[in-house]
Amino acid sequence: MKKIDSPQSNPSETDSPLSRRHFISWAGAGTAAIGAGVLLGKTPSALASGVRDRSHVPSHPGVPPGWANAFQPSSTLPEFPVREAPKMGEKIHEFTIELGISVHEIVPGVKIHAFTYNGTYPGPEIRVPEGDWILCHFTNRTPEIHTIHWHGMILPNEMDGIPNGTQWGVGPGQTFNYLFRAQPAGTHFYHCHNMTNLHVQAGMFGALIVEPKEDLVKKVFSYTREYTLLLSEVDTVMVERQMEEMLKMMGTMEKMNDDPKLMKEMNGRMMGWFIDKKAFLKAVEEGYVPPYVSAQRGRSVAPNFNFFLINGKSYPMTEELHIRSGENIRVRLVGAGASPHFMHLHGHDFWHVCQDGTPLQSPVRLNTIPIFPGTTSDIIIQGTNPGMWHFHDHSDLASTNNGVFPGGMMTMLMYDDAEEKGVRVPEIVQVSS
Amino acid sequence: MGSSFANQAQPVPVPEDQSLSPQVNISGVGAATFNVAHSLASGGKTQAGMNFSDSALVVGAAQRLSTLSGIGSMGLGLLTLDDTVSGKASQLFLHQAFVDFQAERFEALIGRSDNPTAHVVDFPTIRGDDLVTLTNPLDPYSNGKNSEENRYSNVTSVTLNQGLQTFENFHAQHLIDSAGIGTEQGINSFGASFEYLGVPGMEPFSRVPSFGFGYEHFTTNSGGKSGLNQIYLGGVVNLNTSVTNRWDLRFQDVVGFGSGLWAFQSVTDSYQADSNSLAASLRYLSSPFGSPGYQLALTAAGKNYFKVDRSRSYGAALTGVKRLGQGFDLVAQYMGQYRDRALAVAQSSGIAYEQTFEVGFVFNFDTTLNLHLSPRRSILNQQHQYVPN
Repeated sequence: MKKIDSPQSNPSETDSPLSRRHFISWAGAGTAAIGAGVLLGKTPSALASGVRDRSHVPSHPGVPPGWANAFQPSSTLPEFPVREAPKMGEKIHEFTIELGISVHEIVPGVKIHAFTYNGTYPGPEIRVPEGDWILCHFTNRTPEIHTIHWHGMILPNEMDGIPNGTQWGVGPGQTFNYLFRAQPAGTHFYHCHNMTNLHVQAGMFGALIVEPKEDLVKKVFSYTREYTLLLSEVDTVMVERQMEEMLKMMGTMEKMNDDPKLMKEMNGRMMGWFIDKKAFLKAVEEGYVPPYVSAQRGRSVAPNFNFFLINGKSYPMTEELHIRSGENIRVRLVGAGASPHFMHLHGHDFWHVCQDGTPLQSPVRLNTIPIFPGTTSDIIIQGTNPGMWHFHDHSDLASTNNGVFPGGMMTMLMYDDAEEKGVRVPEIVQVSS
Repeated sequence: MGSSFANQAQPVPVPEDQSLSPQVNISGVGAATFNVAHSLASGGKTQAGMNFSDSALVVGAAQRLSTLSGIGSMGLGLLTLDDTVSGKASQLFLHQAFVDFQAERFEALIGRSDNPTAHVVDFPTIRGDDLVTLTNPLDPYSNGKNSEENRYSNVTSVTLNQGLQTFENFHAQHLIDSAGIGTEQGINSFGASFEYLGVPGMEPFSRVPSFGFGYEHFTTNSGGKSGLNQIYLGGVVNLNTSVTNRWDLRFQDVVGFGSGLWAFQSVTDSYQADSNSLAASLRYLSSPFGSPGYQLALTAAGKNYFKVDRSRSYGAALTGVKRLGQGFDLVAQYMGQYRDRALAVAQSSGIAYEQTFEVGFVFNFDTTLNLHLSPRRSILNQQHQYVPN
């Protein structure tokens, strides 16, 4: 079993009521520690002290004291009341995001049409202090319907960005103003929640960083630089085909919106939308053939991801991580896509310090970290081994570009002082093995 | 002899590196009807039989090219011929055998393919060659036995485009010379055409979703002289704006001039003589849930010759199609054609009036294997920068 040590720069950790040693002895395995560490988030420890008052947490007989003391159903209550309006003196950060259709280059020679927030794939990073307000003016300049879902935010239901759920989808030319308080702190992201599988592949996601009032990770690890890596994947053929189909369908809907006669004639059934289950069943009786039956669709074909992306680019066009000997850097990893990825760093261990934005009860020492869809993990890399090191998804398929190794979800940890330290490794760009 | 299990179909100029698997497209049409045909001539004659002509299979392959941001493709296709050609309806006609290069602004094609003059408008009859002598610009080198000679040719063409919406086609052809008029196998026709195609998928909402016109010059006529010409124009007009109940009108006019023929000695003469053919169809398409349910169409056409007496011709087809499933239709059609005496002698063994009723099935499919190229004429490519994926 791998030995897990506490970082030397974290002397206060042993003071925690739920110490690392306690926790590991109960969990029994490093991998279990990752998951359990999430559960233990926001408990009074070096990283979480002061975040929540846990004096009321009861203990449970027969249950290991650390876990029981930490577990408290009410602990996910938000820091600030959700359903309140901004008050005088509170800060509102205003953002304007326009969605358009652009051409995005993944690697030289591979371009796709994409839905882009403010013209970039992925969208721009939004970064605000915890407790401040976010006012985002989202304007849709495409013929499709979109929303923005603020993944991980605890916010009013109406601001959650679920089309035909918490809001009507934002139609062509329309603007929706999202207003909510930035909480909880940590690494989060935003993405479209309409036809998510297609729209996220097409580029509709971006990082949302809520800076804590007190950065406990910085306090412990005193990092100097940080990077945000949004991990995703794309089936370039599927995106191109389905975007085209969507444009055709939405073009039809736009015509329908402009013409009351067409609106009456098409009556929602054209799109497979029905007012209720009864109306759907009646349409089937009248001859409507649902799009999912084999008579309409044949056999379905699942996405066949052929490019794996870090911030919208595949190796060798991914951005490198820079570090110096003795320096700590923070890397925010976001599972923005539909597949899990297993990010492995060569020549180093690193500290897993936050999960889904929340500081872990105890940092976990790893060299490979799983990033599942919809999750975020923050890690601290310490500059302990000069050189140029691979940092990549260890699921081998994802280290390819259209099946060709090397490529995909891979970048390099580059020591700025490698030469000074006597390491002379030439930078070689390899796109074929 | 190669070392692989499957050898190359034919030797190629650069035999190395044949490993890239292209996108493969297979499309087919199976048209099979039970026909009752009746002729009004010398007492009349009624005949029943099966017709599976115009059933076709085309295999194509395409791949993205590493240079010029282009796509290279080829196609090879066969279709079944009418009884009149094969006797026992057992012959196949090579209607596609081409290689094509396309880039953003142009497309170049060489081989056997669609005659550029013949597909400005496709009328909604069961088969493409129904009423062909009235609805198609005709091949003046054809002996008339194989109607497909009017629709397919050996062609070299370059097509320029603006925004993948307007197209100018410049071509030279060797029209199939079954009449044996020409003295060589070379180019016997050339011309230019213009075509407009609306935004793909948005056709129901445009008043005129497509139209085109062109000019064709033929190098030789039956008298061995040059000077035959055709001009043609056609299009589609939507009569209403609807998705579930569509009405459209298709029209085409073909004018042939410059032949100098004052009488018909053969079918070929009737394809060459100066004439005007006007064809139109009124089509109703019911799509209660957005995809086709049933279709009714009336196609009517007439032709008159400028210099030949007693040579008028009229024809009509009433066609009904009921969609039974994706790509599978129950079809029925009544079709009749009248020819004045001189034309009947030349074209239909003296039979002035022929009529046919047919009922059957049409199955069509279009499938793609190893999919990695997107449709070229897409909204994305038209309106959001061309990406040759």
